[in-house]
Amino acid sequence: MGEVAVTALNGVDFAVERGEFVAIMGPSGSGKSTLLHLLGGLDSPTSGEVILAGQALSQLSDDQITRFRRQKIGFIFQFYNLLPTLTAAENVVLPLLIDGRPAAEYKARLQVLLSLVGLEDRASHLPDQLSGGQQQRVAIARAFINDPEIVLADEPTGNLDSRSGKSILDLLRKACRELEATIIIVTHDPSAASYADRVVFLKDGQIVHHLNNGAEGISVNKIVEVMASLEL
Amino acid sequence: MIYIPFFLAQRNMRTRWGRTLLTLLGIVLGVAVVLAIQMTNQSTLDSIRQVFDQATGQASLVVVPANRGADKLEEEALFRAEKFEGVLAAAPSVRVQTLLASEAKSWQIAFSMNGIAAGNVLVLYGVDPDLDAQVRVYKLSAGRMPLAGEYEAILPEKFAAEKKLSLGDELDILTPSGSDHLEIVGLLTDEGVALLNDGVVAFAPLQVVQDLFGMGSGIDEISLRLESAISEDPAALASFKNRLNERVGRDAEVIYPAARGQLVSQMMATYQLGLSFFSIIAVFVGAFLIYNTFSMTIVERTREIGMLRAVGMSRWGVIRMVLAEAVMLSSVGSLLGIATGIVLARGLMQLVSEVIIPVENLARVPAQGLAQSLGVGVGVTLGAALIPAVQAARISPLEALRVRTRSIERVQAAVWLSGIALLIIGRVSLYHIAWPAEIRFSAGSTSILLTLLGATLTVALASGWLERLTRPLAAAIYRREGALGSANVRRSVSRTALTVASLMVALTMIISINSLAYSFKEDMTAWIVNALGGDLYVRSPITMRDSFARLLASVDGVQFVTPTRIMLVRAGQRSLPNDQSVGDTIVLNAIDPATFRQIGDMEFAAGQGDTQANWRRLEEGNAIFISNVVADRYQLDQGDTLYLHTRRGEKGFYIAGVVMDFTGQGLVVYSTYIDLQRWFGESGADRFTIKAAQGYSIAAVAEEIKARYQQRRNINVQTTEEFKDSILNLMEQSFRLFDVLNLIGVIIGALGVINTLTMNVMERQREIGGLRSLGMTRRQVLRMVLAEAQALGIMGGIYGLGFGYAIAHVMILGTNMMVGYDLEFLFTAQPYLVGALIALVVVQIAAIYPARQAARINIVKAIKYE
Repeated sequence: MGEVAVTALNGVDFAVERGEFVAIMGPSGSGKSTLLHLLGGLDSPTSGEVILAGQALSQLSDDQITRFRRQKIGFIFQFYNLLPTLTAAENVVLPLLIDGRPAAEYKARLQVLLSLVGLEDRASHLPDQLSGGQQQRVAIARAFINDPEIVLADEPTGNLDSRSGKSILDLLRKACRELEATIIIVTHDPSAASYADRVVFLKDGQIVHHLNNGAEGISVNKIVEVMASLEL
Repeated sequence: MIYIPFFLAQRNMRTRWGRTLLTLLGIVLGVAVVLAIQMTNQSTLDSIRQVFDQATGQASLVVVPANRGADKLEEEALFRAEKFEGVLAAAPSVRVQTLLASEAKSWQIAFSMNGIAAGNVLVLYGVDPDLDAQVRVYKLSAGRMPLAGEYEAILPEKFAAEKKLSLGDELDILTPSGSDHLEIVGLLTDEGVALLNDGVVAFAPLQVVQDLFGMGSGIDEISLRLESAISEDPAALASFKNRLNERVGRDAEVIYPAARGQLVSQMMATYQLGLSFFSIIAVFVGAFLIYNTFSMTIVERTREIGMLRAVGMSRWGVIRMVLAEAVMLSSVGSLLGIATGIVLARGLMQLVSEVIIPVENLARVPAQGLAQSLGVGVGVTLGAALIPAVQAARISPLEALRVRTRSIERVQAAVWLSGIALLIIGRVSLYHIAWPAEIRFSAGSTSILLTLLGATLTVALASGWLERLTRPLAAAIYRREGALGSANVRRSVSRTALTVASLMVALTMIISINSLAYSFKEDMTAWIVNALGGDLYVRSPITMRDSFARLLASVDGVQFVTPTRIMLVRAGQRSLPNDQSVGDTIVLNAIDPATFRQIGDMEFAAGQGDTQANWRRLEEGNAIFISNVVADRYQLDQGDTLYLHTRRGEKGFYIAGVVMDFTGQGLVVYSTYIDLQRWFGESGADRFTIKAAQGYSIAAVAEEIKARYQQRRNINVQTTEEFKDSILNLMEQSFRLFDVLNLIGVIIGALGVINTLTMNVMERQREIGGLRSLGMTRRQVLRMVLAEAQALGIMGGIYGLGFGYAIAHVMILGTNMMVGYDLEFLFTAQPYLVGALIALVVVQIAAIYPARQAARINIVKAIKYE
């Protein structure tokens, strides 16, 4: 077979407010991961613009985007992506190490975040000495260490059991509240999406529905209902 | 503040210690081989120089006969030299070889790359005790210097202790008239002149030695000590030398003391070239291993690097991280390599000592060698890590987010096209470009490396259909899982290419070096059989009279006897190439053509016409046969003229033919006894070759000769079989050195296989877990990985055997071009069988560990593995 052009997203207009917790849902192939990649500057749109904290990402060179990511964006991956050679604490401060910041600058913040994720006593452990849930907590702490404009999480509970997943989502909710962080998660799990302030539904590369709520989140049943109605 | 590239690099090295050790091993081996060879070459040259420096002491110049080896200087030359302005002391001396009378019966020949040497010969110097002490270093531990005109001698205390001699004892020595004795009046410490001839040396008054050995007033050399203003200024010294040369007369010549080391240095040159080429190959193979390892590390850490990019590490940051690892590995590896190299050098020097010349200074590390090996260690590692570093930098942050199995690598046309281009360039360079002599070695080595690199790049194209060819064998041996395993080598073309290349280079070196050795051996054997001929050799430490031939011929069972006189001569100015100002020292063999041809013959080079006519021309006189090495060196052929220094001045000799000869590293000419007498004023024989009559046992004839003459004449009788065995044994020892280096190549090749398979297994853990979950047993998994190794081994074997054959031809061509030999490529199956064995068996052994790792994979963990 030869190469075929695939339109992952088509005519997506999307805005997120500071301090908002947004979930993006959709079936496989809906374009949700692609949207996340675009928001994080990991990929660039064929047309259109991504503006983050007032900066249009298309105007930045590869190096500039990289630095922007380092300083303004936090990532949480489905498979944690911790460096196996670094301890939990070192993994948390990795973006700052890359940025060349001295230890004195982030020592206090590190302690705050380790406390937030409940891993103060595991700080010197290597990733293979931690459970999946603990590893994801480390990844969450890492995502917040540079006080980002936005945190992007790709299926953050996809590799965890339901109990661990719940604790991770509680943590994200807590971080959103206490750190006034802006969080976007991509998920196919209605219960994960229910933690968000807003759920955006994608189908075939287009936004087909929004679901808004207040601070208490959105009910799982509501989400399932919407999904059923949209035949997602 | 933490410097992140080094911080991450050292963590990675610590965690992946197996990979780190593998890479270190490649660096250590490469550095060790380069340093060991440098040290060996340097120490050997130093030893040669040291021997001659000890002889000359404070002498800045030496006056020698213009026709060295035959003529003597007369007192007139001494008179002129000592009166020349600027000369502080002119010390005359003579040098003879003799034996302790007590050792005459056990006298034997010893062999080395320098040629045949006397095994236990005592070198006796006749010196002016007062004058000589002004130019050479005499350090007495006991006694005094001998008095002029007295039958006294001094010798090294070590030698005296060995022979159980003390002060006041008699030193009984052989002389032409029988034997005589000198009183030992002094013992020397182990320095200065006591180091000459490996310590087997004695010094007696000049006149006494001249009397004992019938030299009249002839002198072998005059050592000159000069005013410091001349000796310490090279330009002034050169000018002084030229002026004195004009003064001393045409029968004498003024040379630098170092020139006397020339013959041995010439001989060392080819050996050193071979070793140097080997060090280049070792570096090449080491670089492959390092590149392989770094590439695999990058593959292993793709997701990790993608994550680093996602959290904000720039491309340059990734490159710096990989290169930081390379810097740390190269630093540690180079230091370990230097330590290993020193140990390896000791072993190599031991081998060289047995084969060429005793090597001193076993612990000395030359600064240049050290710098070179450090440069190699760091430079090669950084160079080999650069491409993987750039590839790592290109990893997209999206890699961190993807879950995918590594897809089959597509073969880029540019890669294998470059490979073919390099093969063509290599061939053209080797066979169609006449490189100037001074860069021939470098050009040849580079061409071979380009050829091997080109071959590596073509693996990318060939691996597909090669694997298909070998798959039936894999299926036959390892069943269905064998076919699966074999097909795996096509998934990562670059990795397969590198592994096949490592094996190819190792096998190529084994096959080509062994083929060269075989061709050498066969040619040498043919030369020994044809050119040396005869059944027995009779030799003596002192030149035998011509008349002894008749006595030998009278022994029952002796059919024919022919004499040979061997001496050193020098090429005349008119024969020297433009870039040479001093003529080479050449071995002249004087023979009696009539009796020589009754026993043996010369092995003429190709295109020399009618051999009968050649011999007739030689017998007419003023003619010589020259070796092919001399022919090549002086660009001469049959019908040309070679000028030699003789007693009567520079004389042109008609070249009646070009012959094969391995004596003295090939710098040999043959003349007749008539010319020997006429032009060099010499007679007598150093060797008689005897042909036994039909029906007589060679051993019995030898015993009869010994019974009659050994005691009286202190001769050594040896069968040609024994002589041939000694020379072949020497050759085996010489090539043993390369066997050691070949072994290193095989180890590196095997390490490459382990590396590749381990990586492949690691990458496919999920897949292997899946196969296990579908019902594949552990044993089947093991067979699958072994089949993969087999495919790699067969590919490496095919390439290695093929290019080994091609490079063997190149090596013989190169040896002939650089040394002047006329070796012919002769096929022998043995190295190919060894190569096939390595490709099939050694590779399988190397695969056992990764195969067992694969078989032990936990299914559940593997399926979850990302």
